[in-house]
Amino acid sequence: MIHYSILFEQLINGLVLGSMYALVASGLTLIWGTMKMLNFSHGELFMLGGFGIYIGVVSFHLPVWLALSLVMVFIFIIAALIEKAFISPLLKRPDWDVSAVVVTLGIGIFIQNLAFKIWGGDYRNVPYVVEGTLSFLGMRFAWHRIYILVMTVIVLVGFWQFMKRTRFGMAMRATSFDSDTAMLMGIAPRRIFTITFGLSACLAALAGSALAPIFSVNPWMGVVPLIKGFIVVILGGLGSFSGAILGGFIIGLSETFSVLFLPSGWKDIISFVLLIVILVIRPQGLLGKKEW
Amino acid sequence: MLKVENLDVYYGEAQALWGLNLSVSSGDICTLVGANGGGKTTLLKTLCGLLSVQRGSIVLDGEDLLNFKPEDRVSLGLSMSPEGRKIFSNMTVEENLLIGAYNKNAWKKRADLLEKIFEQFPRLKERRGQMAGTLSGGERQMLAIGRALMSEPKMLLLDEPSLGLAPKTVEQVMELIQSINESGVTILLVEQNVNVALKIAQYGYVIESGRIAMHDAAEVLMANDHVREAYLGL
Amino acid sequence: MVKKIHDLKQWQKSLRVVDPWSMGVMFLILALLPIFISNEYYLNILTICLIYATLASTWNLLVGYTGILSFGHQAFYGLGAYFSALITIKLQLSPWLGLLAGGCFAGLLSLLIGIPCLRLRIAPYIAIATLAFSEIMLVICRNWVSLTRGEMGLWGIPTFENFSVLGLFDVQFSGGAKISYYYVMLAIFIITLLVIYFQLSSKIGTALKSIREDQDAAASLGVDITRYKLTAFITSSFFAGVTGSFYAHYLSILEPGAVFGVAEMVEVVAITLVGGIGTFLGPTVGAFTLIIGLETLRMVADYRMIIYGATLVLLILLMPNGLLHGMTNLVLKAKHFFNSRKYTGENKV
Repeated sequence: MIHYSILFEQLINGLVLGSMYALVASGLTLIWGTMKMLNFSHGELFMLGGFGIYIGVVSFHLPVWLALSLVMVFIFIIAALIEKAFISPLLKRPDWDVSAVVVTLGIGIFIQNLAFKIWGGDYRNVPYVVEGTLSFLGMRFAWHRIYILVMTVIVLVGFWQFMKRTRFGMAMRATSFDSDTAMLMGIAPRRIFTITFGLSACLAALAGSALAPIFSVNPWMGVVPLIKGFIVVILGGLGSFSGAILGGFIIGLSETFSVLFLPSGWKDIISFVLLIVILVIRPQGLLGKKEW
Repeated sequence: MLKVENLDVYYGEAQALWGLNLSVSSGDICTLVGANGGGKTTLLKTLCGLLSVQRGSIVLDGEDLLNFKPEDRVSLGLSMSPEGRKIFSNMTVEENLLIGAYNKNAWKKRADLLEKIFEQFPRLKERRGQMAGTLSGGERQMLAIGRALMSEPKMLLLDEPSLGLAPKTVEQVMELIQSINESGVTILLVEQNVNVALKIAQYGYVIESGRIAMHDAAEVLMANDHVREAYLGL
Repeated sequence: MVKKIHDLKQWQKSLRVVDPWSMGVMFLILALLPIFISNEYYLNILTICLIYATLASTWNLLVGYTGILSFGHQAFYGLGAYFSALITIKLQLSPWLGLLAGGCFAGLLSLLIGIPCLRLRIAPYIAIATLAFSEIMLVICRNWVSLTRGEMGLWGIPTFENFSVLGLFDVQFSGGAKISYYYVMLAIFIITLLVIYFQLSSKIGTALKSIREDQDAAASLGVDITRYKLTAFITSSFFAGVTGSFYAHYLSILEPGAVFGVAEMVEVVAITLVGGIGTFLGPTVGAFTLIIGLETLRMVADYRMIIYGATLVLLILLMPNGLLHGMTNLVLKAKHFFNSRKYTGENKV
């Protein structure tokens, strides 16, 4: 008989993992929604978030909130430049979907190896944002994990509201639906693309920085979240924001609970099998219809 | 208000508009009629900047439109209502209208503008929270027009507002267009339904295979033999 | 779109995928190459080039000609490699038989993911579903230790048996005789390209290309989409499997990440796009360019992958239709430049 406290701990771990997947995947789905492309450099932006927080907090001893805001600003600028310089010139190509994949792959390879060259391959540890543990009914949880959960909820709800209420958010949704008609409203789709790319990168970097204290920071830390992120967006339905969140938590929870009945090496198979099974039943993904 | 001179436009290799001349005077409803594939929508797309111009000029109120990107033309007072299906059906009715007020000046006044539109289109007010994709054909058309009005245009371009609507609804839409015009907006109405268009317009152009075949006061065109035969089926 | 496809005959004409002569010349050059390059190190690199050229050409059949955006091609490469390695180790079968068996196994298992994928209409869904399939294969391969030895890898995979041609000269396979491997791989490469060529120039090819352009129009013309898509899927998986099997017997060691890893897929995608997707010889040009380029970059050890990433981005940006097309264009331009006096106004470049 498994003790309830183990189940509860796994639940928290699953939610933490799920929130990471949800953050990464919502960035991917955002880019698909507006630009109709898969961004294969997303994992590297996640990694840069991790290194950013490491440099800010460990190297420069900045307070976490300051380091985090600086990282967000930097990542936004870097991503916007990448979009302007390398992605926007591809937009009109007939082979847009595949060429965007290879260009973002190239950018990913570049960033990953540049990071390796600059920072080396050591696994670096980042201190928790919130130290200490919470004791509850005889169970102990690191406050940092609670922080991740709360932060994810705030960010995702905030982002949702941003999309729903602000002038810019509405423009993003309009562009994602029909960029030509959006142009008739005075919206400049190219600018929307650049900003969307920047915001999506921020979501990835935020996840990377939050996870940095749990998994250590290294140049390859973005590879797994990228693949899992893609699995999540397809599972949830490409282009659907709520699908990405739902998918993120489904995969996060099923992976952590699988540890109870599968040897740990097999854990990774869960998400892949889940994806294929769901696509057989529902080819458009769980919430595969555009909505915000 | 709007002056188009010697306009040549190409769709890829094929020339779609040939030396087109057209002018709309301030305060008028001017209509452009013609059969499908004659170049009506091409002209509208060109005016909005979605297609590029090979030769010729487009001047709106003394401003050369060709110097402005498509998205910047809205702030010059040019607004277009594309045919009814082109609403943002992933957004609510109210959001569709708000996005119409995207340009900075209009956005500041969006609450007032929204009230005004709701007064003019009570149906849209009833459905403000509903997803635009669930509207009926007539309501979609109203929404597209309302959305175009949210930018407070001087000049409104309408693309086939009668398309696919029941005769009764067409009548309502035409009345609406007249009342918009009376409130001081100049209108270029592009229509396939020649009969209703010429009824409310002051001036009309007939476009055939990318060229203006004739133009005259609406009543004169109504009485013209060629128009009666080819478009009114009389 | 529909208007394009109403005349199937005309389509067939427009589908002269490649001039057979240029294909023949390429095969000839590749066959004669070892005369000039006998250094074992270079022969090894050329053999690797051929491996990737074959893989990329089979991927191109899927993506470039059929529009099935698969990101799971490495699965079939790996399945061929492991199946062939295992039957030769455990059942002591001949590696020559392994080549065929590896291909068949890969082709058969491709139905596992090929059939569910037929229902998916949006390209990224197919891409990620196939990627998931190959990741499943990777996890299985890593964890089924009793069979595959997992991360420890398979060692001592038997190499091809020596044989002699008409008793005149002996063909030997050993670490010091890379040339024989080169020719085996070249044979696999040539057979693969010929099969793809004949498939594309036959009725199947017309159907495949019409599927890429417009599925619905193709279906309305009575093209049996399901059948042709599956044919393309099995063909490309079969040859990926054969290539994988060759790889296993060539290196004699095998570990899961080397064949099933996403990095293999990245390489194949990059090669095909750099060479020219949807062009018949593009993947081969891309393979030789990128693999040799990557090898040359070993000189700048630390910066190798940084430069590689940047080059990929620039190549795609600057050569929109791939290297092959870009080079042909350059040649045409040069021709045009030199001939401009003779044929004014006739050359459309």
